[in-house]
Amino acid sequence: MLVTARLRPPDRTVEVADVRRVADLLARLEVLPGAVLVIRDGALLISQDELHDGDRVEVRFAISGGG
Amino acid sequence: MAMRCKRCRGQAVMELRRHNAAFCRDCFFQYVGQQVTRAIAKYRMLGHTDRVLVAVSGGKDSLALWDLLLDLGYRADGLYLSLGIGAYSERSRTVCQEFAAARSATLLVHDLAGEHGYTIPEAAGQGGRPSCGVCGLSKRYVFNRAALDGGYDVVCTGHNLDDEAAVLFGNTLRWDTAAMARQFPVLEATRPGLVKKAKPLYRVAERETAGYCVLKGIDYVVEECPLVAGNTQMRHKETLNQMEETAPGTKHTFLFGYLDRAAALLKVADVAELAECARCGMTTQAPDDPAEPPVCAFCRSKDRLVRSLPVVEVASR
Repeated sequence: MLVTARLRPPDRTVEVADVRRVADLLARLEVLPGAVLVIRDGALLISQDELHDGDRVEVRFAISGGG
Repeated sequence: MAMRCKRCRGQAVMELRRHNAAFCRDCFFQYVGQQVTRAIAKYRMLGHTDRVLVAVSGGKDSLALWDLLLDLGYRADGLYLSLGIGAYSERSRTVCQEFAAARSATLLVHDLAGEHGYTIPEAAGQGGRPSCGVCGLSKRYVFNRAALDGGYDVVCTGHNLDDEAAVLFGNTLRWDTAAMARQFPVLEATRPGLVKKAKPLYRVAERETAGYCVLKGIDYVVEECPLVAGNTQMRHKETLNQMEETAPGTKHTFLFGYLDRAAALLKVADVAELAECARCGMTTQAPDDPAEPPVCAFCRSKDRLVRSLPVVEVASR
């Protein structure tokens, strides 16, 4: 199975094979779950949600600087 | 099996590890609203008759805050300051304008270049101060001045739990006790020329404000400011997030422990004498030498910047 993940910001798309759940995807991407939202078809996913072959998800970083 | 909402047992869409909880969409909105209501009540940040000015950047935090305050029935207008950061600033302003239009809310738009003669990219590398420092200084000045001129009772900013924890972390590493003493969810208007400042999102993590925007359908600027890469606060946030991953609640405990147990001690020790800036009339710290005229940090910075910018010849017809 293959999942396409768009990471932004900045804006980078990668394909990840053999990840069953959101937590697996984030671990493979070496992204801290507490720093991102994962969005599929406009809906938020949580770490236990299952992924399917052909899924396209956005991994959106929720950390911003400045202030 | 799908994770369930802690409150209603519906399907969860947001996990909050620091609370060992997960919420469905509606219960998450309720949770965020409660956190903001609690913050406002605890520090008496604002009342329903107050005129509130929300400083908005187009980012997730400030738009979530404006949305929450409007939903909670506050008289909240927005203020957008254009920093002159090319397409990024243009997009930010459009997002704020569209947000305001969709809610029939009032948005004030100010422009740093038009009003003060410089942009933040011009400030980057000029005048001996990092661009984020000049940006923060400029925003604080313009927000206070605009609130005074517009007769607002309080300025609200979208600083969240992560922002506050990261700033506290940086101040602690430097033992900058003067800055720590001023880091509080509310700063009262202690003299004429100062407007009350409040941070109603200090109990809400930034991942939660982002989630709030996505679930509410609020279009915010996801792109990071092009000038912010590698800044100190971002590095401190990354460090805290690493700690949070293995010990959820670390940021919460660090910040709230400070506010509950240490902030009052430092406030007592903060005895900075204030004076009126000899150039712009705004409030500033009095100089050590009483013979020296007080000039605020914004006027000093602006002088340095405008002097360092190239003079543009305007051809006469």
